Amino acid sequence: MSYGKFLVKRILQGFVVIWGVVTVTFGLRAVSPGDPVNLIVDPAASPELREQIREDLGLNDPIYVQYVEYLQGLVVGDLGYSYQSSREVSTMVIERVPATLELAIAATVVAVVIAIPLGVISATRRNQPSDYGATLFSLVGISTPNFWLGIMLILVLAVQFGLFPTGQRPVGFADAMHSLITTGYAHDLVTWLRHITLPAIALGTYFTALITRLTRSGMIDELGKPYVTATEAKGLPGVLIRYKHVLRNTMIPIITVLGLQLGTLIGGAVITETVFSWPGLGLRLINAIYALDWPLIQGIIIFIGVGFVVINIFVDSLYAYLNPRVVDE
Amino acid sequence: MAWVPHENSTRRSFLTAVGATSVVAVAGCLGEEGEDTDELVITQGEFVENTDPNDHNATPYYNVFDQVYEPMFEVTEDGEIEERVVTEWSHPDDGVVELELRDDVVFHNGEDLTASDVAYTLRRQVDEDVGFASDQVAGLTTVTGAEAEDDTTVIVEHEGSESLVEFQLASFCRAVNEEWVEDQEQPIDGDMMGTGPYELEEYEPDVQAVFTRFDDYWGDEPAYERVRINAAAESSSRVGAVQTGESDLVVNVPPTDVDDVDTDDGIEIRNVTSNRNIFLVMKNEIEPFDSQEFRQAMNYAVDNQGIIDSILGQFGEPMTQPIPEGLFGYNPDLEPYEQDQSQAEELVEESGYAGEEITLYTMEGRYLNDAEVAQTAADQIDQLENVDCDFETVPFDDVSDAAGEGPDYEEIPFFLLGWGNPTGDADYGLSPWFTSGGGQFNFADEDIEEQLLESQQIDDEDEREEQLQDINEQLREEAPWVFLHLEESIYGVRDDLEWEPRADESLYAEEMG
Repeated sequence: MSYGKFLVKRILQGFVVIWGVVTVTFGLRAVSPGDPVNLIVDPAASPELREQIREDLGLNDPIYVQYVEYLQGLVVGDLGYSYQSSREVSTMVIERVPATLELAIAATVVAVVIAIPLGVISATRRNQPSDYGATLFSLVGISTPNFWLGIMLILVLAVQFGLFPTGQRPVGFADAMHSLITTGYAHDLVTWLRHITLPAIALGTYFTALITRLTRSGMIDELGKPYVTATEAKGLPGVLIRYKHVLRNTMIPIITVLGLQLGTLIGGAVITETVFSWPGLGLRLINAIYALDWPLIQGIIIFIGVGFVVINIFVDSLYAYLNPRVVDE
Repeated sequence: MAWVPHENSTRRSFLTAVGATSVVAVAGCLGEEGEDTDELVITQGEFVENTDPNDHNATPYYNVFDQVYEPMFEVTEDGEIEERVVTEWSHPDDGVVELELRDDVVFHNGEDLTASDVAYTLRRQVDEDVGFASDQVAGLTTVTGAEAEDDTTVIVEHEGSESLVEFQLASFCRAVNEEWVEDQEQPIDGDMMGTGPYELEEYEPDVQAVFTRFDDYWGDEPAYERVRINAAAESSSRVGAVQTGESDLVVNVPPTDVDDVDTDDGIEIRNVTSNRNIFLVMKNEIEPFDSQEFRQAMNYAVDNQGIIDSILGQFGEPMTQPIPEGLFGYNPDLEPYEQDQSQAEELVEESGYAGEEITLYTMEGRYLNDAEVAQTAADQIDQLENVDCDFETVPFDDVSDAAGEGPDYEEIPFFLLGWGNPTGDADYGLSPWFTSGGGQFNFADEDIEEQLLESQQIDDEDEREEQLQDINEQLREEAPWVFLHLEESIYGVRDDLEWEPRADESLYAEEMG
């Protein structure tokens, strides 16, 4: 199979997955209890008014008609209107993407900065106290629920010690950088940093633990290979061998996991954003679920699904480009 | 130089200073947010979904809108209606109320507020040819139209009694500028333009709204230059925000956090019994709730004061009738049902429904500890020897649907619900529930319905009040609900903030100093 065909096949598979996501979310909406009209009108509104709104929204149409109309809308990028706010769902989704991306990237940075040195130390000092410490950290990190860690961080670092704010995002990264470049003052950037630190730690802890484990096991594998013995025989310093040669080889699978986990991070941000009132897609999704605002719920889930599929296709394509054997497999 | 504690410094301010310094050192620059001492920060759980003041009917939304769009009347803590933008009102003919406006009120774009704008605001809500089907229509049931007579006189047409329309106008009329509104997409989103003490500076949907003082406001200048209203749905985030000094006032502090907040330096708990009541609906066309004895038995089975003490941390007041104290039509002579299990069992026997199995349905997270309240009530009913009571949590919409389905809806005939009473008049608490045209009609009783509809037409205030009080007394006897409690509004507040919580849950920044 040529690389072009491989790419087309992957993209077509991606469309099938997205269609599946759309259909499942639509199905959930169809079977979910509750009447959306309750969201739109006051509980005391008359039955006539309720019926008129139901008719206007097309809720009296058969379910397949609603489904086809929804798909037709999607094709032209129309995700409908929020029941609660009457705003365009596509706008409501897109305006929240930067906050979630910032959080996902910050969590990745936290993970990489902490996990890689920890993994290297753990692998090169096997069965020593530092290895046990790193392993314990990984175990605790992977087992700790996001929301609990978030609340603990707020209680200890924000409330008890007053080191960080409890949440919110008064300024975005882009605006903070713009302010730094145009005025020369870093006030907004500091504000952004202070506000994102705790949510990034809460979201990144699981990831940190995961990467620590990956780095450790990858390093242990690599350290046992003949080229390490050869470089050692050449008399290269140990630090250089570990960080220049061995770590570089270990990083290849880690970078792949980082790419693939970005989608998971965006999904995991739902809880973190709620705990820290971080105004991203996750917080909006939770609010939409509380309100049973189905057009918005569907829009966000579809957007996250599309993001996940696109990242996967990109990583697969990159892999296939770098390693043509993948295409034939 | 060593850090020297100031005599007014607290542990928190010291730690904040240390924390700020360390972060600044990391970032390599100076600066800290939230230094503007002339800014008031309020944090609440829910937030407006768009910026149209006529589109929604929920207190947290009004708390955002009311900084920009001022109510036409002042409603006092005691439910009295006083002048504000409307200086005088009279009833020259049956079905007509004439409003006289101040002549010095201007919108934030500099244009004068005219009678035409006020009339347009009302028509926008009640006339679908002018505006849209608004939630607030439910509060303006008797208003049928409005016209401007001259620049400052509005003629409102209505179908109800005089006092009822006054309460409705006082609660649901925040004037918009007709020309400006017509230039916007409907409903309005992203901008606000009213006549209130603050104008909108920044708005981020369900995140925050920032307001600055409006210099040409006709009334007293508010104490704060800026007001920021933040959204934090998570209660621990809200409590954290007031504990760290990020917020000056937060709403809905959970009873379990009250002690922590109250003992913290510089902040305190302030609370008030609100106009929102919590009760268990029993549909009277469904067995066994078609028996008055059985319904009364349910009231005797439940220890509502005990629930307040144990589940709500003593925050709440037992209900004595379907409406809260302070509303026009409240009957002060009525007492709450006291728990009496043996009387409850006797009444069940009398009802002929001994051995009945029932289920109490509730939502979770809508009202203060709602699921725990319902579970305790269900347990107490279950303790009766001749009734089995189960308990089930369902989505709020299931309960809301059940409430709108009528008294013969069998699927969920027994459920917990809360009802806010923003108009200050008993009619808003009774008509939706006990008249067949009301959206929450669950209890069919022709006599009560007739008396309620009649009360809407009585012009004499004393006579109408007496009639409403009489209806409340009958309803206590009829026991359409298990009367539980009036919900408590619990706020975490910076202790030097001059402000007292209101029973109607309103937050006017202009009243804070």
